[in-house]
Amino acid sequence: MNNYPDVVSKLADDYLRRVKLQLGQLPAPEQIEFLREIESHLYDAYQQMPGEDEVTRMLAVLRNFGEPIEVVQDRLPGAMLRSGTKRYLPLYIVGGIVIALFGIPLGFGGMAVLAGILITLAAMVAVFYAIGGIVFLTGALFMLLGFARTYAPAFWDRMVTLGFIRLDGPVGDFLDQLPAPEQGLIMIVIAALIVVGGLGMLWAGRYLIRGLRFLFSLAFDRVRQFAQRIRRNTHPDKARPLVAVMPAMARK
Amino acid sequence: MQYSEEGKDRRITQLRKGILELAVMGALYDQRHYGYSLVRALSENGSISLKEGTIYPILARLDRDGLVRSGWVESDQGPPRKYYALTSSGRQLFDELSHEFDLLVSLVQHKWKAAEQPEEAGKKLLVRKA
Repeated sequence: MNNYPDVVSKLADDYLRRVKLQLGQLPAPEQIEFLREIESHLYDAYQQMPGEDEVTRMLAVLRNFGEPIEVVQDRLPGAMLRSGTKRYLPLYIVGGIVIALFGIPLGFGGMAVLAGILITLAAMVAVFYAIGGIVFLTGALFMLLGFARTYAPAFWDRMVTLGFIRLDGPVGDFLDQLPAPEQGLIMIVIAALIVVGGLGMLWAGRYLIRGLRFLFSLAFDRVRQFAQRIRRNTHPDKARPLVAVMPAMARK
Repeated sequence: MQYSEEGKDRRITQLRKGILELAVMGALYDQRHYGYSLVRALSENGSISLKEGTIYPILARLDRDGLVRSGWVESDQGPPRKYYALTSSGRQLFDELSHEFDLLVSLVQHKWKAAEQPEEAGKKLLVRKA
């Protein structure tokens, strides 16, 4: 456990991150081992470094330790050689051929399918919102007409005369039997239901988006797990515990 | 003609790197060390001024070649430390390398001036006529 002040901890973490970047060619277990060792060294050196200012002390420690490239440059060539020999090279060659022959075309096809699914789902969401909006606006307009029928019958009659409003069929026949205020009331009630339906669709839209997001994250998780399983099967050494404490060496 | 500082520095670095591995083996001959304590031991007993981080690739090489054994040991004061100690084959190799090194040192420190050829003889080799 490190007991650095925050700012010093950031300096150390940043340095370790830079070292890690340089270790790209090294097998992952060796990277972790190497970084842990450096971390331990930095901690000891920091504790022993004299001075009042914590940042200055850590900077001096890092300066003494050397630039990341200096620290790793002697380590890489051997690791690069091992990365080609220690692993299952024939499997890699076969894998390379398979990827070259099938993976790239299938990859493009897969990308196209994925893009198609994404576009389709995005379109579905857009259409859903559009329908919700249209329903809401229709209800609102119908409500305005209901108010017009109730409170401005002259305006309503003029609109009917000009042909802007036509209520034919059974609905028209039914409304014709009622007085104007009741016609207006029925229209307002129906319009209110339509408005509520539209608002409900717009409100439910966010759940639709959440649901789709959940489906996507579930799918990506499954893909990631599948990739990790393959990786574990191809590199069994990566599952090995890294810390092998040797009690025989501990002199207390 | 004057030598370049850059060239001098490069050669010094190469020389130190070559010797450092031997020095590390020497330090681990009778005593186990973790990285930081090894650096302290080397800097207290000599004037090899290399960057501290360069010790770790050397330790990793020795470990890989079976010349040292290593293991993590928990520390009360901070993160675990990785200790190294020379194996018996490492000690054997160190003895042989140390002997070779002594020979090289005696070769470098040999009084070459006494055996130098006369200047005139050297000059003749450089004169070429078309």
